[in-house]
Amino acid sequence: MTNIELALWSFPVLLALIFLRFPIALAMLGVGFAGTYLVTGTPNMTLSQLKTLTFGTFANYSLSIIPLFLLMGQFATLSGMSAALFRAAEAFLGHRKGGVAMAAVGACAGFGAICGSSLATAATMGQVALPELRRYGYPGSLSTGALAAGGTLGILIPPSVILVIYAILTEQNIAKLFVAAMLPGILAAAGYMLAIAIWVRVAPNSASVGARMPWGQRLRALGAVWPVMTIFLVVVGGIYLGIFTPTEAAAVGAAGTGIAALLSGQMTSAKFKQAILSTASSTAMIFLIVLGAGLYNGFLALTQLPQTAAGWVSGQGFSPWAVLVIVLVMYLVFGCIMDSLSMVLLTVPIIYPIMSALDFGLAPDDFGLWFGILVLIVVEVGLITPPVGMNLFIINGMARDIPIGQTFRGALPFVVTDIVRVAFLAVFPPFTLWLVWAIY
Amino acid sequence: MYDLLEKAADRLARGTALLGGLVLIVVVAMTCVSITGRALVPFGFGPVRGDFEWIEIGVGFAIFAFLPWCHLQRGHASVDLFEPAFPPLMNRIINFLVDIVMFMAAAIIAWRLWLGMLDKQRFGETTFIVQFPIWTAYAACLFGALVFVVVVAFCTLRSGRALFSAPKG
Repeated sequence: MTNIELALWSFPVLLALIFLRFPIALAMLGVGFAGTYLVTGTPNMTLSQLKTLTFGTFANYSLSIIPLFLLMGQFATLSGMSAALFRAAEAFLGHRKGGVAMAAVGACAGFGAICGSSLATAATMGQVALPELRRYGYPGSLSTGALAAGGTLGILIPPSVILVIYAILTEQNIAKLFVAAMLPGILAAAGYMLAIAIWVRVAPNSASVGARMPWGQRLRALGAVWPVMTIFLVVVGGIYLGIFTPTEAAAVGAAGTGIAALLSGQMTSAKFKQAILSTASSTAMIFLIVLGAGLYNGFLALTQLPQTAAGWVSGQGFSPWAVLVIVLVMYLVFGCIMDSLSMVLLTVPIIYPIMSALDFGLAPDDFGLWFGILVLIVVEVGLITPPVGMNLFIINGMARDIPIGQTFRGALPFVVTDIVRVAFLAVFPPFTLWLVWAIY
Repeated sequence: MYDLLEKAADRLARGTALLGGLVLIVVVAMTCVSITGRALVPFGFGPVRGDFEWIEIGVGFAIFAFLPWCHLQRGHASVDLFEPAFPPLMNRIINFLVDIVMFMAAAIIAWRLWLGMLDKQRFGETTFIVQFPIWTAYAACLFGALVFVVVVAFCTLRSGRALFSAPKG
């Protein structure tokens, strides 16, 4: 068997292991190890690599941003900011048709600015917004659908763990990627609100509308979210102005949300421990995948599959746009069954060289940013599609009286806006890149 | 006996993860102090010497310390789509296999980390700025790696017990 054939055969083996419920990290570790063994004829290469690879991966300055952002998000969930954000959004939107649901989405967007995790955003905002939505008589499917979709804003709006991983894999600038994610993130929130506006007009329902708030009250509600704005501005502004590195910014953010949590009085010793343990679990999960992906991608690089594939695709004279559509659809399909982070780590090292060899009429740096945002959006759609959309299950677990089928259906309109948004951003790259061009 | 082991494994993994979290918080505090110091250079303050290196080592230690808790909680990302479709016996066999393979992985990681540590010690490698001997950082991380091996060994016992003692299904 040639090396390339070996590399090609490793995909079905890897997928089979993953579908047999092997942890994705373990499957990648095993296949990477075995593949390198078969190529070099000895296990020694991987074994000697492992003397420094594990430590080198875990004690890595760029990657240390990940546990810090996760800690920041965990503290944010204890800061009581979710309630303040929801009240502020409600003050501005509550009097509109579907306004309370829109406020939930808006509050999710605000929370996403200090939390880089979709699951934490969905869970935290769900606690605050679900009872309110119920009180106003919103249909169950709309409430859970809107909150599950709103949760994805946690990762679409920077800071975002997936973007950090993508930046490291493709050697992009993290700060520029965060800037590039900003407008698409706001567009996402606007799209979700539009979906709600259409829904409440098309489908008859009994949802009532809040009273219009006078401006004085609105501004007071907005003033109550100052800690969120301060933390976001310090973290993101500090990175842009070059005052500190993204890793330092994450540490500052963790300190900020940690202090906010302490001041809110919600951080009991038990909750503090819980926050640490949640951070521990997600961090270990992510880094074991990073380690596995390192071994697996090392094996692929040894067989030269990524370069060969890139050369083959660009030599076929395919239309770049057709290839892009195929890649994005593939991400959408796989996103329905696989978690987004593993998918990015598994595929980007192969897909990115292929895509960057194609001509989309963009400068290489611009292409890297634009493609990263597209990938980020399509992999996140998987969080709100059945059968394994984690956000759907988290929200549904909080509203046990609503059947899961209704939650699935409730998420559909938001999935549609996601797909429309991806198509728009794909066809019109300047929308993503404009802010980057303006700032840098 | 098993109950005692279960409690011990939980305590061990939980305590190790909390220790890692504590180190992570120290890293956060040190970074904030360092940034403040850097901003106050005109007033005679300065950043923490070698702050980048301390962040790397601290976070590295924390991540090794987080591994056991993640595995004990079955916190690894996996595709559980077909779990309900598989017969219960097959699921129990898979759980057992996963734990065995993870045990091998954990053991190899710890073993190679140990050898890596000996290398670093032999060559006297130090960090760039503070000249901190790298092998001590490896030694600290070895603690988490060893706890990982022990906890995964318990998990293998847990899934093996579920496989062999549960009613046949």
